[in-house]
Amino acid sequence: MPVVRIYYDDMERLIGASRDTIMGRLAMMGADIGKRAEEEYVDVEFFPDRPDLYSAEGVARAMQGFLGLKTGLVEYEVRQGPIVLQVEESVKSVRPIIGCAVVRGLSFTSEAIESLMGLQEDLHWGLGRNRRKVAIGVHDISRVTPPFRYFGEDPARKFVPLDYAEEMSMHEILEKHPKGKGYGHILKGCERYPLIVDANDQVLSFPPIINGELTSVTEETEDLFIDVTGMDGMVHKALNIVVTSLAERGGQIESVLVKRSEGDLVSPNLRPSSWTVSAAEANSLIGFDLSSQELAECLRRMRFGAVANGSEVEVLVPAYRADIMHSWDIFEDAAKAYGFDRLDARLPGTVTVGRAHPSELRKGEIREVMAGLGYLETMPFTLTNEKVHFQWMRRQGAGAVHVMHPISELHTILRTSLLSSLLEIFAMNQHHPLPQRIFAVGDVVIEKKTRMHLAAASIHSGADFSEIRSALDVVLRELAIAAEIVPSLDGALLPGRGGDLIASGRKIGCFGELHPLVLKSFGLEQPAVGLEIEWGVL
Amino acid sequence: MLSENDVKVLKSILQGHCDPQSIADLLAMKVEAVRATADALEEQGFLKVTKSVVESVSLTEEGRKYAQEGLPERALFSSLGAGKAVSELKDPSHKIALGWLRKKGWATIQAGMIKPTGSAPKGKDEEMLESLLAGPKGSADLNKKGLVDLKSRGLVTSSKSKEWRYEITEEGTKFASSGISAAAAKEMPTLSSDMIKTGSWKEVDGILYLDYMGSSYRARPYDVTLAADRIIPGKMHPYQRIIDFMRSIMLEMGFVEIKGQIVQSSFWNFDALFQPQDHPAREMQDTFYLDSLADIPDYTRVKEMHECGGAGSSGWGGCWRPEVARQEVLRTHTTGVTIKYLADHPEPPVKAFGIDRVYRREAIDATHTPEFEQLEGIVMDRDVTFSHLLGILKEFYNKMGFEEVRFRPGYFPYTEPSVEPEVFIEGLGWVELGGAGVFRKEVTAPFGIEHPVLAWGLGVSRVAMLKLGLKDLRLLYQSDIEWLRETPVSIKL
Repeated sequence: MPVVRIYYDDMERLIGASRDTIMGRLAMMGADIGKRAEEEYVDVEFFPDRPDLYSAEGVARAMQGFLGLKTGLVEYEVRQGPIVLQVEESVKSVRPIIGCAVVRGLSFTSEAIESLMGLQEDLHWGLGRNRRKVAIGVHDISRVTPPFRYFGEDPARKFVPLDYAEEMSMHEILEKHPKGKGYGHILKGCERYPLIVDANDQVLSFPPIINGELTSVTEETEDLFIDVTGMDGMVHKALNIVVTSLAERGGQIESVLVKRSEGDLVSPNLRPSSWTVSAAEANSLIGFDLSSQELAECLRRMRFGAVANGSEVEVLVPAYRADIMHSWDIFEDAAKAYGFDRLDARLPGTVTVGRAHPSELRKGEIREVMAGLGYLETMPFTLTNEKVHFQWMRRQGAGAVHVMHPISELHTILRTSLLSSLLEIFAMNQHHPLPQRIFAVGDVVIEKKTRMHLAAASIHSGADFSEIRSALDVVLRELAIAAEIVPSLDGALLPGRGGDLIASGRKIGCFGELHPLVLKSFGLEQPAVGLEIEWGVL
Repeated sequence: MLSENDVKVLKSILQGHCDPQSIADLLAMKVEAVRATADALEEQGFLKVTKSVVESVSLTEEGRKYAQEGLPERALFSSLGAGKAVSELKDPSHKIALGWLRKKGWATIQAGMIKPTGSAPKGKDEEMLESLLAGPKGSADLNKKGLVDLKSRGLVTSSKSKEWRYEITEEGTKFASSGISAAAAKEMPTLSSDMIKTGSWKEVDGILYLDYMGSSYRARPYDVTLAADRIIPGKMHPYQRIIDFMRSIMLEMGFVEIKGQIVQSSFWNFDALFQPQDHPAREMQDTFYLDSLADIPDYTRVKEMHECGGAGSSGWGGCWRPEVARQEVLRTHTTGVTIKYLADHPEPPVKAFGIDRVYRREAIDATHTPEFEQLEGIVMDRDVTFSHLLGILKEFYNKMGFEEVRFRPGYFPYTEPSVEPEVFIEGLGWVELGGAGVFRKEVTAPFGIEHPVLAWGLGVSRVAMLKLGLKDLRLLYQSDIEWLRETPVSIKL
């Protein structure tokens, strides 16, 4: 989750409240406050659905409402600006959507630059799916000359990328520049790469990879040009979040005319969207009892425009909110403003009867029998690998589910039986006194179907066939499992010292003395015996 | 309390056998058994046992030869006659014999001639050698000087061993001569069924006396403070005990337990929960995908909800693709099982829960495992609200033993509103434990579920770590057997 660094001084200035007041309420607005608060700042995590909180300015705007200092919709003035950006057809197949804006009159402190860079990165992650859907470029507009042009360029085109002193071709940037290596895959297979240039063909940005060095932002920068490119409407949300956050720093937003073949666009568009919600619906979801006036008041504290109209509330959702897709999203905000701690936490009235799953009742019976036999329960992983599960057990691998991208060679398949897991546990416990007797009862997966098994094993110098046969007899009798015993050909068992369990003509288990080659594979040096039975299918 | 062996051993000592070996031979018992029996008899005051260390001397191979043939100096002396030149002694062993000859004063050497001094009477060493031919002897019975010499010549060897001597006491004599037969004594336990039935016992001043064959015996008091032999009981895994505890809470609260497949389609695991197909949580790096496709149910309404919205929602937009939904995964949560259950049971009320393994593609370390248990509960009913969810959570955590519960706004992709419950734990402060919320309309509407669904879940292994004081999650799954043996059944839950 995105982490926003909150400098107390900065926040007190932006919000107009004391540090204690802010920190005391911040979590209740929806945030995870880091455990380690530093002298000057604290790191706070915000949720992925609230990209408008990924900057100190956005947090301040929300907190002012939450604390009741400034409520209702913030109306940002957008001056009509002279700057034009032309979108050419050549970029449509690569990265079709662009939104831009100019913000003037900024005075950047180092904290403000840090906040802006952090916001950009968090938006790339949260809304942008790592720049694929949204990529943001921020430029010092004084270095370039409008009008601008957004088009698909030949990858051989050269320019000086950010943080570099020499020209590189776009192709080279993808191969050598750290950002190119990190995000180049987004442009894989494209014949032309997106580029934004000014009237003199100087490069502002190579979205979604890197800006040009020419327009980099410094503490001297006063006027910004912002481009946001991507694949869908999320581009404009991201742009709105960036420009409104800069406006909170005192910037003046100015529109850009984006000329497109499908129709011109005045960008940004900060008009709020209108919703009509019912207080009764809010009450029936949240469980409080608010009038439409009270509901509207709650919503204004969450920085919505909200006016009660009879039993309904006319809501204006700010253009920087990316998470409102249903009236319930609005009601949740009302509940936050009201305070989760003030809600009447109560049990529902309907009487119901609980019922355990039959397989869990069966597991209880199995545990009772196995504990009575002196076996300790273990709960091994269901993920294992072919070497341990089949090769070491001298068994043919069949029916196992393979995961496509295992994270370790130890965990490549789901187990089809339990016995090998018990032998692994023995192997880990050789420094402890013998005899050791353990069992496991749990799921195995064969041909993608979950089945339920019991396995038990015993290791000590006197472990022999009669020990496990006696245990098996108890298990079969106590659990009322009817099975015929026939000599086994299981490679894991010693020939002539192992049996298979057959029920309705199908093998449901095996038992016997483990083959010395199996013991050797697991690194075991004492005789061991085991049994395994399938007792259910999910 | 005398056993058959006790009586037999006691009687043989009364007959004059006073060491374990001879008693063992007599009674055809193992020496160890005799010693153990005698120790027990001593504790009861019937015997006095004296333990001492004895040195047993026996012949070496060489010593045996000389014991039979005579020492080399004796042979040399016999061959001297009136005298012999030193130069005639060719064999190196003669040199050694000559040394002993002079040392013992049997002969002198003058001008290269060996001359006998007298009759050379048989020495203590020679007598000792001969007597040892019959078998090993205790060092106490042998001449000290002779023994030192023979030892230094490597002709005898000695070993130290413990020796037991038994002397019968007055009480023992009384008991052994009371005419109790070994067979009868066998029938005499601490407190026999007969004694209980006939009342042939008495308790005087806190001491138990047992009547036996006309006499009264004091029952041997035990040292009750001594630790006994270790017994390792079979038992349930401590973690399972916690899981069962949580299951019992859910059952008490009227929930029905449900289960589902480990292998799920992306449809049930993600799409049915309104997770957009490009959501980061669906990426390969977080989820175990299988190289196979599942059959999925009629997806028309789910596809429509994703692409165009409905039920008051704007939807995600973009294009929803069935082939993405068909990809199979190891379930990343049990919520896919829950929504399927709701789809099959759309009539209220439904209260269901499950505790099962879920899978995340995470590297294994002390706090992460690629599989772990998740608890999930849902309530679907007419007129249930978010406030009811908080009430259920409070009740649930209280029953879990967490007395203080508070609620913080949270975010989960398929619930709205969402909440993160926190519990107060001494020494740790407020700890986030699980997540909860009301299923979004976008989740429930496509399946015809018309009433609110309250849902919550939590990582069970986290609770187990708190309750069991574990620092390493892996110990739950790759258990140390001593830990399983030593963790009491009664965990403070």
